[in-house]
Amino acid sequence: MTDLKARRRRSGARWVRRGFVAPTVLVTVVLGLYPLVFIVGAAVTESSLGKPFQDFVGADQITAAAADAGVVGSLVRGTVYALVVAAASTLFGTATALALWRSAFAGSAARIILLLPLALPPVVVGVLWRLIFTPNGGLLDTIRRMIAPGTEPIAILSDPVLAIVGIAVADVWEWTPLITILVFAALLGIDREVMEAASLDGAHGLRLLREVAVPAVLGTIAATFVIRLILALKIFDLVDVMTKGGPGEATTVPAWLVWKAAIEQFDVGRGAAITLLLAVVVSLLTLPPILIARRSHG
Amino acid sequence: MAERAAADGRRSSRVASAWLVAALAVSAVPILYLASVSFMTQGEVAAGRLFPAHPTLAHWTGAVAGPVPRAIANSLVVSVVSAAVTLVLALPAAWAIVRHRTGGRLLAGTFLAPWLLPPIVAIVPLFVLLRVLGLNNTLTGLTLLYAIMNVGLAVWLLEGFVRRLPVELEEAARLDGAGELGVLARIVAPLAGPALVAVGVILVILSYNEYLFAAFVTQSDQSRTVPVVISLMLSERVQDFGKVAAASLMGAIPPLAIAGLLQRKLVEGLTSGAVK
Repeated sequence: MTDLKARRRRSGARWVRRGFVAPTVLVTVVLGLYPLVFIVGAAVTESSLGKPFQDFVGADQITAAAADAGVVGSLVRGTVYALVVAAASTLFGTATALALWRSAFAGSAARIILLLPLALPPVVVGVLWRLIFTPNGGLLDTIRRMIAPGTEPIAILSDPVLAIVGIAVADVWEWTPLITILVFAALLGIDREVMEAASLDGAHGLRLLREVAVPAVLGTIAATFVIRLILALKIFDLVDVMTKGGPGEATTVPAWLVWKAAIEQFDVGRGAAITLLLAVVVSLLTLPPILIARRSHG
Repeated sequence: MAERAAADGRRSSRVASAWLVAALAVSAVPILYLASVSFMTQGEVAAGRLFPAHPTLAHWTGAVAGPVPRAIANSLVVSVVSAAVTLVLALPAAWAIVRHRTGGRLLAGTFLAPWLLPPIVAIVPLFVLLRVLGLNNTLTGLTLLYAIMNVGLAVWLLEGFVRRLPVELEEAARLDGAGELGVLARIVAPLAGPALVAVGVILVILSYNEYLFAAFVTQSDQSRTVPVVISLMLSERVQDFGKVAAASLMGAIPPLAIAGLLQRKLVEGLTSGAVK
């Protein structure tokens, strides 16, 4: 009797907990599964913004997108961009975290200043760097006039090679603080005795950092690299504000290309086909490190 | 200064201090430059100055009279309300997943998946959904979108906090006859208060700064948020940098103030996900 009652209560509790996770499940379905089904549907049909799913066209749009030099170029560009930006952010972020950890200046004022780029709206970050890169009177141009008067101004954001570098600089500036904060927190977790023992063994300065501190937080550094890679693959705001994908296609990253196809040209079918290809690229890039990390955590 | 101890308890390193000072400069100079430009006339910007020779307040008074204050109010309402809804949805889930593995490996492995893909992926399907619900072009629609968009991230960040809560108090409440809801409302929620603030700060800043969905969903003067208003200023034919700089800085004051005042909370929230 009491056994039955207890069992009933346990099963009731289980249903209450299922209720607790129900919104999260629903959200995962609405944000993950529903867009996926929608996009697959739109990719195999002729679809416009007002009228999705008109005529079934099979894999035509997907193969057309995969064969389109502009699309492939954009996917390659986005991949290289994300890898370079993630690597640069991780490098600078880790170095700054180590500096915070080893310097007496690392008070809360320093931490607030380092956090500012992260709190700024990305649109404002774009405005800010557009201003800095303005060929006539921007910060960079002003410095050029001081150092090398008489030279020609450089229009970074309208140069086919330099434009994407300009966006990358803004991107690295914006997100490096996240890595600094995460790695710094991990460094604070290192046992002081480990560092003291290593320094008694004669390890000092850079060697101490390289051989003891950095290995101790390598897991965190790897995790932040993956987070940063995902953020860089999603880049859209900065491109929209700074270059609109140009000059030519020099800064047409995948998210921008999808936007252009689906929203500006109203061809949701083509946008969906590009999106599917992008999803494959993102999965190929981010899943291996995530799976490795999960396995090593047991 | 060199004798003072660093965070690791050892003597402060000069190389580290030099790097840190450089990093602080890199972090602050662009923002200070934006502030400086906001007091310059167009002629002074074109002349390539670092500081205005004759500072003008015209851009700031113009920004106060323009669409930015309304946009700030919109952004604040949307971000605070959506963050509250997200937390209410996420805390019970984080607790059930951490303490009872509710949802099993499937849920644990997938709830963050929508965050992996660029948001552009979801924009057309979600726009269609909002239109069906009659919520497109409303702040309610945008609030709803942000509230659900961040649930996965919030659950992930809260997991770290919930795991560190003492389980003994929950067991004691259970012995007193509390059910699941009682444990959650009377024990877990109050204990998780600081965590809710820490994660809430992140959610507010994320939603306040979000641009893509806001540009798509809010297309009337009354409903535009800060990033949308600023990006619209950039498409005006005559670019007045001082004007754009003043509006940008004004619109960025709330997230900058939140980050400055609640720096400790923000750092706590950011680190809970990665260090668990």
